[in-house]
Amino acid sequence: MELVVRIAGAAGQGVQTLGELLSRALFRHGLFVHTEMSYHSRIRGGENAYTIRVSDSPVLATKEKAHVLLALNDEMLARYGSLLVDGGAVICDASLSPSARAVRVPARELAARELKLPIAAGMVLLGALARFLGMEMGVLRDLVRERFGDRAELNLRALELGAERAPAGPWGLPRGDPEGRHFLNGAQGVGLGALAAGCRFLASYPMTPGTAVMVYLAAKSLEHGVVVEQAEDEIAAINMALGASYAGARAMVTTSGGGFALMVEGLSLSGMIETPVVIHIGQRPAPATGLPTRTAQEDLLFAVHAGHGEFPRYICAPRDPRDAFYLTVKAFQLAEKYQVPAIVLTDQYLIDSHFTVPEIDLSRAEVSDFRLSPEELARIPEYRRFAITPSGVSPRAIPGVSEKLVLVDSDEHDEHGRITEDLGIRGRMVEKRLRKMRGLEAEVSPPLVYPEGGLRGKTVLLGWGSSFGALKEAVDLLNGAGGDYALLHFSEVWPLRTAELARAFAEAREVIAVEGNATGQFARLVSQVTGLRASRTVGKYDGRPFTPEWIAEEVSR
Amino acid sequence: MSAERYLAQVPTAWCPGCGNFAIREALAAALDELGLPPHRVVLVTGIGQAAKMVHYMRVNGFDGLHGRTLAAAAGIKMANKDLVVIAESGDGDIYGEGGNHLLHNIRRDLDITLIVHDNRVYGLTKGQASPTSDPGFVTKVQTFGVISQPLRPLALALALGCGFVAQAFSGYGDHAAGVIARAIRHRGFALVNMLHPCPAWNRVNTFAWLKENTFSLEERGWDPAGKLEALELLLLEEKLPLGVLYREERAPFEDRHPVLRGDPLALRPLRQPEELAPLTAELS
Repeated sequence: MELVVRIAGAAGQGVQTLGELLSRALFRHGLFVHTEMSYHSRIRGGENAYTIRVSDSPVLATKEKAHVLLALNDEMLARYGSLLVDGGAVICDASLSPSARAVRVPARELAARELKLPIAAGMVLLGALARFLGMEMGVLRDLVRERFGDRAELNLRALELGAERAPAGPWGLPRGDPEGRHFLNGAQGVGLGALAAGCRFLASYPMTPGTAVMVYLAAKSLEHGVVVEQAEDEIAAINMALGASYAGARAMVTTSGGGFALMVEGLSLSGMIETPVVIHIGQRPAPATGLPTRTAQEDLLFAVHAGHGEFPRYICAPRDPRDAFYLTVKAFQLAEKYQVPAIVLTDQYLIDSHFTVPEIDLSRAEVSDFRLSPEELARIPEYRRFAITPSGVSPRAIPGVSEKLVLVDSDEHDEHGRITEDLGIRGRMVEKRLRKMRGLEAEVSPPLVYPEGGLRGKTVLLGWGSSFGALKEAVDLLNGAGGDYALLHFSEVWPLRTAELARAFAEAREVIAVEGNATGQFARLVSQVTGLRASRTVGKYDGRPFTPEWIAEEVSR
Repeated sequence: MSAERYLAQVPTAWCPGCGNFAIREALAAALDELGLPPHRVVLVTGIGQAAKMVHYMRVNGFDGLHGRTLAAAAGIKMANKDLVVIAESGDGDIYGEGGNHLLHNIRRDLDITLIVHDNRVYGLTKGQASPTSDPGFVTKVQTFGVISQPLRPLALALALGCGFVAQAFSGYGDHAAGVIARAIRHRGFALVNMLHPCPAWNRVNTFAWLKENTFSLEERGWDPAGKLEALELLLLEEKLPLGVLYREERAPFEDRHPVLRGDPLALRPLRQPEELAPLTAELS
């Protein structure tokens, strides 16, 4: 069973609210649900589309063509009418005249006349859609009550008005049990991961799509004791985070590529003063302002190489929101353990999309305190913040908890943190900082191979980050059509694990990089580190997320 | 106890005759007057000759990036409100590169003391104009003299609603120490614009010039309660006032921020999984 439903309208018509209600209702039906949000960078007008893919087996990618389109205006009817599967249906207001099979409901008239609330027309249509899909209205009604509280009655009435006027469609939605599953988007995954990892401080300047993580933590701020400070600019944000981290609070920033560009000097400062910070980058198409509300994987090489000078860092690129949770925890943990900056690289698609995933187990989040306790500090006769050690990691004290003083310096410094131009010390400090890379290398998990087993003689698709779901499904499509394909997929991209790459390149018939950029950034990184070159790159740079069909077609071209 | 305990016993990189020596003594004297244990104090600096202060003092230190002194200081104070946070850097760092952070940290009003070394010239980069240089000031870069208006830090701070606005002169060390001590004691963002000569690069605003062109607010019986009077004085008076120009008591950022009530953030324990259980419940 598979069904794709799309809700499309102008900004301000409630597309997101309707989409969230419907998708969560379908999740609670016990179905596997995946959503994707496509919107213009504006508050009113333009085009907003919420695509909901539903199945009785796991789905981790979006689709281009829908079975049912709920169109909130003429423009969206024209724009998305052509993206219906053969025999697809439209739900719309009675004043619209679609060419496809349609359920037309006088939603605007009902909203104005019966509810005295024109905006409720969308909710009337949602009622009609729910009935058409054969949903249990009780699930949707419960959600409306949860979401609207005091204002629920009017919205429940709107749902009812729509449902009364729609026929049941041909889709008998099976019921399942959502037990053991979670339904969340990437922003929730990163935000919850930050909380589980002990984050106490976030400073950021709003920038789509990174802001979603800031908004998530702000909503939990008081209850869970995390300061969310809107900085005057991204430069302030990362320097505030480093100040907070120096003082002992786990700290992060969230931004997008342009904001990260402003933070780069601060990234280098984190490397120099060996003060942990977690940087979440929600990628979007660039250069410069680019397409603010669209998706891309264009900032990988930027993240790997950003910052003047040489210093270690950790970079992960989660595959789905659950992965975002565990990898954000890991980013905090490694940042603290190795006293380095850690970057969580997501994108608009992952941040805004809800996935149905096996439930997140909070007790599996490994979190430990790497700071020296006041008791440990008391036993150290002479504290040296940058003591040279075999691992490169110096025991880290925070200021104020004991009489030991803590000094950090952006200049080259001696073991005490005091400014120096002693070139012998300089050499030893460079080596000490870079030694931490060895420890980090051992922390990185291997890439995922799909289908499990050897890669001998296969055409291997090489990918990273949020493209996972679409790539996995593309491999199934290609193999279903008689191909011999496999997927090698990375969610931790720096330090780069090379053993699996060497094996894959040795065994595979061909390696094709599939990435959300035009120049094959991961393939170039692999080549830079290992000397191994993918035979070609399939790049998507139109701002839209991958679909399995698109990949399968491009790969077999 | 003496002010000596706050001084690091290391050689300095300052030029002979630099006002920074006297400012260092004044800072140590102020800390001593307040009896602050060195480990409870964090000195935050940026880059420049003034910013080297952190290496010559015996307190906790964060020597960050040029211009970002106040951003780091704000993060430190939010993470541990129990620390005494002093930000100190030069006119280029605070008024030039870091101007935006000055504006917004005056708005935030965390309990931070900011000491700006104002010698109206760039020292470490060898003598370019600073945001406070007067029109006509000729340098190797401003070859036909400065033509932009100077930034007026005290008037700017007043206009932004800063709750403690003061000026001192390195030539009057005891007075400067007293002003710094009052600034630290003030609960909220406190600006001390510290005038001092740069014998290497500024041949205009010399020690003698500063003596000649400043006057004591205390000797005039100045009442720091009047904001309009303070602005009027700054706009009309040719000479530069020394002392506390304006002071207003109010609850600082950390008292107003609901999350900051209770233990300092930095000292709160790691969260337990059960604390977050309600958040995973939201995911179904």
